[in-house]
Amino acid sequence: MSNFEDRLLSALKDEITTRTAEDRMTTVTPVRRSRRRLVGLSAAVAGVAAAATAVAVLTGLTSSPAYAVTTGSDGGVSVRIHSFSDPDGLEAELADAGVRAVVDYLPEGQTCKQPRGERGGGQGQFATSIGKDGDGIAFTIEKGQVPAGSTLVLAVSKSKEGDDQPPFATALEVVKGTVAPCEATTLPVPPPGSGGTTERKDDGPGLDSGTEEQGPSLNTQNG
Amino acid sequence: MRLHEDPAAFEAFYRRHVDAVMRFVVRRVSDPHLAADLTADIFLAVLDSADTYVPGRGSEIAWLYGVARNVVSAQYRKAAREARAAGRVAGRRLMDDDDLARMEERIDAERRMRSALEAMEGLPEGERAVLELVAIDQLTVTEAAAALGIRQVTARVRLHRARRALESVASPSAVYLEGQT
Repeated sequence: MSNFEDRLLSALKDEITTRTAEDRMTTVTPVRRSRRRLVGLSAAVAGVAAAATAVAVLTGLTSSPAYAVTTGSDGGVSVRIHSFSDPDGLEAELADAGVRAVVDYLPEGQTCKQPRGERGGGQGQFATSIGKDGDGIAFTIEKGQVPAGSTLVLAVSKSKEGDDQPPFATALEVVKGTVAPCEATTLPVPPPGSGGTTERKDDGPGLDSGTEEQGPSLNTQNG
Repeated sequence: MRLHEDPAAFEAFYRRHVDAVMRFVVRRVSDPHLAADLTADIFLAVLDSADTYVPGRGSEIAWLYGVARNVVSAQYRKAAREARAAGRVAGRRLMDDDDLARMEERIDAERRMRSALEAMEGLPEGERAVLELVAIDQLTVTEAAAALGIRQVTARVRLHRARRALESVASPSAVYLEGQT
C-alpha cells in the first residue's frame, strides 16, 4: 500500500534523519516567529531537505491545466496562464524551469503594495500579451532575463467573473534579492476617459499604462 | 515530546493526526495540489516547532491545529512557497492520480464548511479565529484557546460575540451551530 499519506510520512522521516544528521541546525523554529526569520530558516531547511526530497519524489505527477510552462531550445521560458487559480503550482513549475518566481493572484481591484524589492534583473523587455476570450495571459522570459539571485514577480488582479477570465490587471517585474511578501492594497482605477489610459475592448477589461514610480498601474511590465 | 528527533515517535503522531490535518486543510482550500502542499507544510512545521509543545498544557490536537492555522495563513504560505521552490518536501509531488481523486473527494465533502468559513469572513479576526476552531474544526473552547495562545476566558468572550454577530446574519448561522453537536 502506497499513497500520498505514506509517501509523505517517509519523506518526513527522511527529513528528520537529515536534520538530525545536520546537527539540528534547525531545531527550534516556533511557528509564531516573525516572517523574516521564518523565511531565513525555511531557506536553511530547504538545503538540508533537498537530499531527502530527491529520494521521496518518484511517483507520477499530475499536471494542472491552469497554466503551461515550456522551455524553448534557446533557453527561453514561455508561460501561458489559463486560469488564475494555482500560484503555488506555477511557481513550482517555473522553479523547475530555472526561473525563481513569486506569483500572487488577488481579487479584482486589488494588487500587491509596491515596491516588492529592488528592481533588477537581466536585459530586455518581456514579450507579454494579454489574451482574450478567456485565453488568459502569456509571456516569454528570455534566457538571462531573470538571472540568479533575481525573482520574477507576478501579481494578477483577477476578474470577478472568474479565475479563468481575462484578468482585471497584471503586474510583471523582476526583483533583485529579497521579494517582499504581497501586501494586498486597493488598485486605483482610473475613471473612464481619464488621460493616459486607453480602453481597448479586444484586450478584455485590462488597461495598459506605463509605470511611474512603481505605482500600481493596471498592466505593468518591467524587465 | 521528541518528535523532531525520533522517527518512530513522529510516525505515531503522524498516523494519529494525518487524517484530521487533511480535513483541516480541505476546509480551507479547494485546490487539491495546494491541499497536498499545505498538509506537508503543516507536518514540516510540526518538526520545526516540536519544542513548543508542552504536554500537560493542552491537548495534542489543540497544539497541532495552532500550528496548522499558522501554516494555512496567507503569510506563512508565502514563505513556504519560496522554500518549496528551493526543493523542500513538496506535498503535491507526492501525489499520484489516485491520491488526487481522493483529495478531490475530501475537498468535496467539506464544501459546506468552506462556505460557512466564507460567511464568517466579516467577523473581526480574533473572534473569527475562535469560532472557526470551535464550530468548524470541532475543538472545545479550552482547546481553541490553547491553539490560539489566548486565555480561556478571552476565548469564551470572543466566541460569544462571534455567535451573536452571526445571529444577526439570518441564514448561514444554522450551519455553524450544527457543526457544534
